Amino acid sequence: MKFDIIIIGGGLSGLTAGIALAQAGRDVAVISAGQSTLHFSSGSLDLLGCDNNGNIVNNPLNAIASLNASHPYKKVSNVESIAQEAKQLLTEAGITTTGDATANHWRITPIGALKPTWLSVDGMATMQDAGTMPWKRVALVNIINYLDFPTKLIAAGLRNRGIEVDIKAVTLRELNELRKSPSEMRSTNIAKVLERNNLLQGLADAINQVTVDGNYDMVLLPAVMGIDSCSAASTMLNLIAPEASYVATLPPSVPGVRMQTLLRKRFAALDGTFLTGDQVIEGNFQGNKLNSVKTAKLEGERLEADNFILATGSFMSRGLVADYNHVYEPALGVDVDSNSLDRTTWAQLNVTSAQPYMEMGVTTDTKLHCLLGGKPVSNLYAAGSILSGHNSIKLSDAAGVDMLTALQVTHNILNQQ
Amino acid sequence: MKTENNNHQYDVIVIGGGITGAGTARDCAMRGLKVLLVERHDISTGATGRNHGLLHSGARYAVTDHESATECIKENMTLRKIARHCVEETDGLFITLPEDDLNFQSLFVEKCIEAGIQAEVIDPELAKTMEPAVNPELIGAVKVPDASVDPFRLTMANVLDAQLHGAKTLVSHEVIDVLVEQNRVVGVKLRNHHNGEEFNAYAQVTINAAGIWGTLIAQMAGVKINMFPAKGSLLIFGHRVNNMVINRCRKPANADILVPDDAVCVIGTTSDRVPIEACDDMRVTPEEVEVLLSEGMKLAPSLGNTRILRAYAGVRPLIASDDDPSGRSISRGIVTLDHEKRDGLAGFITITGGKMMTYRLMAEEVTNLACEKLGVNKPCITASTPLPGSEPQQESKKYSFANKASHGRHGTLDSKISTGDAASDALVCECEGVSVGEVKYAIDELHVHNLVNLRRRTRVGMGTCQGELCACRTAGVMCDSDDSAQRAINDLAGFLNERWKGMQPVAWGDNLAEAQLTATIYQGLLGVDQLTTERRADYYEI
Repeated sequence: MKFDIIIIGGGLSGLTAGIALAQAGRDVAVISAGQSTLHFSSGSLDLLGCDNNGNIVNNPLNAIASLNASHPYKKVSNVESIAQEAKQLLTEAGITTTGDATANHWRITPIGALKPTWLSVDGMATMQDAGTMPWKRVALVNIINYLDFPTKLIAAGLRNRGIEVDIKAVTLRELNELRKSPSEMRSTNIAKVLERNNLLQGLADAINQVTVDGNYDMVLLPAVMGIDSCSAASTMLNLIAPEASYVATLPPSVPGVRMQTLLRKRFAALDGTFLTGDQVIEGNFQGNKLNSVKTAKLEGERLEADNFILATGSFMSRGLVADYNHVYEPALGVDVDSNSLDRTTWAQLNVTSAQPYMEMGVTTDTKLHCLLGGKPVSNLYAAGSILSGHNSIKLSDAAGVDMLTALQVTHNILNQQ
Repeated sequence: MKTENNNHQYDVIVIGGGITGAGTARDCAMRGLKVLLVERHDISTGATGRNHGLLHSGARYAVTDHESATECIKENMTLRKIARHCVEETDGLFITLPEDDLNFQSLFVEKCIEAGIQAEVIDPELAKTMEPAVNPELIGAVKVPDASVDPFRLTMANVLDAQLHGAKTLVSHEVIDVLVEQNRVVGVKLRNHHNGEEFNAYAQVTINAAGIWGTLIAQMAGVKINMFPAKGSLLIFGHRVNNMVINRCRKPANADILVPDDAVCVIGTTSDRVPIEACDDMRVTPEEVEVLLSEGMKLAPSLGNTRILRAYAGVRPLIASDDDPSGRSISRGIVTLDHEKRDGLAGFITITGGKMMTYRLMAEEVTNLACEKLGVNKPCITASTPLPGSEPQQESKKYSFANKASHGRHGTLDSKISTGDAASDALVCECEGVSVGEVKYAIDELHVHNLVNLRRRTRVGMGTCQGELCACRTAGVMCDSDDSAQRAINDLAGFLNERWKGMQPVAWGDNLAEAQLTATIYQGLLGVDQLTTERRADYYEI
């Protein structure tokens, strides 16, 4: 099989590149192992939440200048326009968001903290300013016995900021059925039951009933609605009498799964080829070029392309593997950071310290070409969390790196031709 | 509370909430004594919670220490009866590898039989059938009645029974002084770590069962005990590779026992002398990991590609005999020190040495002595009375994954766990099948104040995911006010740090991937680090 471009990895980064290249008329294949870190999403996408010193960033575009030279953003030619392109790409995929790259806003975490972020999926509760609360009286409404939405923690966090919060809980007979197997009481299952059985009105009635007398200016709900499309999520909010928004839950993330679904649909609509449940196990290099790859399932088949993008993620996505004494990139064996040889230097004793393993990844040249034996591979690029040189937890920049480097690679490929 | 504290008068104070202290409190209480059990951290935080969880048959000691071997097999058979719900009758193998001397095997079997241990030489081929994980290169195998025991459960069962017999238990209460009046210990000064309050408790006899920390307690009483802190490191693997205990048939050495415990298995140990000051913060070194892994793979080669969940270390309270201050002759046997005879200090006894296996015997010995001092003449009945949870089964609950799991953990005490309604049946921990009902039971009845306590009582977060989501769910269940919400967040941060302490020495492979996922969820998604205001004073890391 021969494509213009093969993308290895079907997460946020791989899908972003896939859509952009397919939109440009290229014949693109994405090879995906299945799940992605979108399943752990907050419903918001971060560009840069904190600087190198841990200070909150208000304007990501300005703060990017202060990042280390190793940061992947340093290989993005025009962050402002590429960030706009990313937002546009999401909108065209049916994922409408609020926010832009010149001013972070705030999201509410599932335990009631506030974190700065770049884009939030419509419907998610956000604040423009962490110092001024947009609401005075909030009803925090959970589904009875849904444990992945710790309302007491969220309420305490909001009360600490001067908001009056009442905790309420509602249920429906159909959700009780779900509860018969206690391990099924998880976000994605709830979302499927609500959406596929037309239960949104019933649930909204129950919520309206417990909130009608409270004089609330905001009703906050767990983000467990709208797994297949945005419409269920927004329909639900419209059915509730006061203004209502969603707060992220513990994983799996319904807004995250929905984002993945919509991005895949968009890619498919652009005639992209999506090979799921498979993984690349070998690359066939010739000189400074990658000719083809082999996958675990398509035995004997060589997948050829003019260009390749490696977007398999970090350790948790198996894009990087650490064994007893070294770190490597398992799909193609391209170069990773040289500081990966001494295991005792990978991890610090304190759990909240900046962990050195977080900065590990594949090394690239200024055009994001992967290196093999220290030399750039002319038609192989890396994008997303697999890139070395930044700590996505400390900087809150994971989604931004995923999307912006993917789009930069897209430009690099399109300009090259 | 105040009046109760001011009125702390007991027959016996037992210092130390490990298995020895818990067993001693039980025995004393069953003989009708008024008992106070004090523990500075949590039940089974010391060496009791940091070993293999092996119910020794005694075979390991048969060649080198006949007395220990005899004690072990006797207690082994007793615990199978009285602590049924804490024991899994796995049996064990002692294997000889090509690099070992096969001649040792016949001596080993002979000495086992001498000690009363049923040791049966079996064909290596049969051994491979019985235990498919065993190193296929083995040239000899002996089957012995080893078993697996849950030390957390066993200790808690002893505490519960002590309480049922009237004993009072204070966890998070540290002995900060031993009260001495005219050559007699009359009690202890305690500090409550929850609120900082200090008060005295009095007793006619004070029993020092503080393990390695007993040397510090003795110091407070003005007497010297020559302890030899011996660190032992172990690794827990992510699933149960073996179904029988696998030992090396040779003289005891490093990393030569692999024990199946619940859904995991544990390899250990190393043995190195450490300074007493280091005992509060034991960390496993890369060298120890190397030894444990390479030696462990000789017992069961598949350990080499099994995920290591965590590394941990305990300190054995070994003791040098009094006439040998150089410490050359270190005993692993039971040591009861009557400080009245030894040092002219009345009302004070130290019980130390020994092994988890022989805790009941140690308790019996020291209780005999305490009774003698108190003029009480009642026989010990701990060997014949089942522990709470191991009584004959009355009726069983409706079958469910969580009910079955909690029955395994709590035995007949599971009748106290509410089930049958949706709120109680909601699962907080899917790996180990822990329900909201079980969490509430543990909080109400088992001295649970934080997530690490809960982990020891219920196995919450002990499974493959090591608390990936259940820690946060449980924190949500455990808090009931804004005040406790902040405590729950601090508790969560403490739990994550504790968990990382065990993962950090083995942070590679799937474990590193899991660590990154945890950090992404708890720091990135949730922002636990940003809400944490303090480390909890009553937190104790393992």
